[in-house]
Amino acid sequence: MTDDVNNRVLGHIGLGLWTMRSMALHPRNRVADYRALGEDAVLAEQLGFHSIWSAEHRIWYDGWVPAPLHALAHVAGLTSRLRMGTAVLLATQHDPYTLARTAATLDRVSGGRLDLGIGLGHRDVEFDALGLRRDQRGRRMDEVLEVMPAVWAGEHGDPPVEPGPTIWMGGMAPRALERAAAKNTNVILPQTLRPEQVTRCLDTLHSHGGWNGAVGVLRDVWIEPLPRRARSMHTRFVNNFREEAGWWILKGKPAHEVPDLLESQMARVADSSLIGSADEVAEGLRALVDAGADFLCLRINFDLVSQAELRDQMHRVAAELPSRLADVISPLGVER
Amino acid sequence: MRLLLEPEPDTDLDALTAEAKAAHAAGLDGVMLRQTRAVPVPLIVAAALAGRVDDLLLAVEVDVGDRHPFELAEEAAVVDLVSAGRLVLVVRPSEGAEEEYGEALDLLRTALTARPFRFEGRRWRVPAELPENVHNLETHIRLMPSPAQVRLEIWGSGAGRDAALARGLGYLADADADPDELGRAHDRATAALGPAAIGAPRARRESLSDSDALVTRLRAGREAFGQDWAVVAGGSGEATALGREVRPRVQLHRLNPTVERLWEANGR
Repeated sequence: MTDDVNNRVLGHIGLGLWTMRSMALHPRNRVADYRALGEDAVLAEQLGFHSIWSAEHRIWYDGWVPAPLHALAHVAGLTSRLRMGTAVLLATQHDPYTLARTAATLDRVSGGRLDLGIGLGHRDVEFDALGLRRDQRGRRMDEVLEVMPAVWAGEHGDPPVEPGPTIWMGGMAPRALERAAAKNTNVILPQTLRPEQVTRCLDTLHSHGGWNGAVGVLRDVWIEPLPRRARSMHTRFVNNFREEAGWWILKGKPAHEVPDLLESQMARVADSSLIGSADEVAEGLRALVDAGADFLCLRINFDLVSQAELRDQMHRVAAELPSRLADVISPLGVER
Repeated sequence: MRLLLEPEPDTDLDALTAEAKAAHAAGLDGVMLRQTRAVPVPLIVAAALAGRVDDLLLAVEVDVGDRHPFELAEEAAVVDLVSAGRLVLVVRPSEGAEEEYGEALDLLRTALTARPFRFEGRRWRVPAELPENVHNLETHIRLMPSPAQVRLEIWGSGAGRDAALARGLGYLADADADPDELGRAHDRATAALGPAAIGAPRARRESLSDSDALVTRLRAGREAFGQDWAVVAGGSGEATALGREVRPRVQLHRLNPTVERLWEANGR
């Protein structure tokens, strides 16, 4: 494996998701957790990864980071090449001008390293906390997509940012794909999609005509060659989602009040995760690339492992995946 | 007297890092970052700087503007965490928004407690309890995560003087604020609040053209309004001069003149 191939493959792989949660299953000290974010990012850069990704929620007991751009700004100060992404930032829960300026400031401070993944958000209580109506989130997203590029182009009196943050539209709903196609943005697809669903999303995007963005796919990943340990990780992983599901609404009801629906969702999460040997993980990722993914965001950070385990996994991914994926990673990929 | 260096606002992190390191080397207490057209979100710059320089306080002045104070509180909490508790959030009322400024301060401080809360102000109601939002609603919400500090340090500035002082908060006066008028404002707040007014930082923006002149001005500020913080515009050169020529001379109520003569003889 030459360094060149190594860099090329890892240059198409981001790591996620640093959501900064302290859960019952895995309590953490907050200050240490935010310090670890910076340390992990430095390692990701050293290992040659494309990016690290955060996400946004608010007012939940686990402390899920409500201001991911501010957390990623810390990463910007500690790194020089690594990109920083959100998968996703809840664009509809912010004032569009403030969001545009926050992203622009981070883009300038970081030397143009921001991958701004944006999504609608889904928890009514988050909207309600900020005095917003959830049922207007689509309209707000359209406004964000108008305002941000205009602010970045200097049309509202700000210094222009060139070329400005890269927008990644989050979600797989037809309306999300339609918005991505209309604005010709990149797309970041959720981790539960099967390869054929990725292909269908691509078909939908192309059906709108003129779209030529990149498609990123999130995937829950953990390389563990020993079957016994892989099974144990699988259990921890599903239990982590079961705890997270405390805020989910399935068919209008809290997830834990509809156990059948919850368990089928858990099965989807479990089935789509890639936990196993490097060969097994690479095979799953290869299928996504074959299906049309230009970029992979491997979610190895579930907030359920220690920092030492996480860093060991980062080394493992960097060592094991490039040789197994070298032939399928396009040399074009996500470079702008 | 505590001193903060206020470099020219910039998004060039290397330049800012050099200035902050000069402030650190000069024994200053921290740096101040303010909001401008070119640097619209200085909290982002502070978060980036936090990993580059240790120990220094990171004072960040933001226009509260039309923004929801709860969102600003969340951002401040995260920046305080990445800096391990070094944020001083200076909140400036935007022009025309002076009326709701006091309410913004109240909501910010309420949100930054570790309690689930309801807030019913004239401008903001949290949670809003909008009829269109239906699922998983709460009557009380809790900002998560909390900042690293026990109580996140919040100061007022600009036209927010009386609102900040009435709440026992620190206040950063502009350079051209009348020191006697500031003194009267602090006296009024002390009369109204009693012991609750003790401890609120009394700061003013300063410039350094001449060390002796600044020392004289800071001593006068201390006399007139109890000034105990100075935010001084400048870069690495100013930091060095502040550390050597200003800071030692403004700490005590009275300085033994022989010490001053020794510094003179040593050329500082």
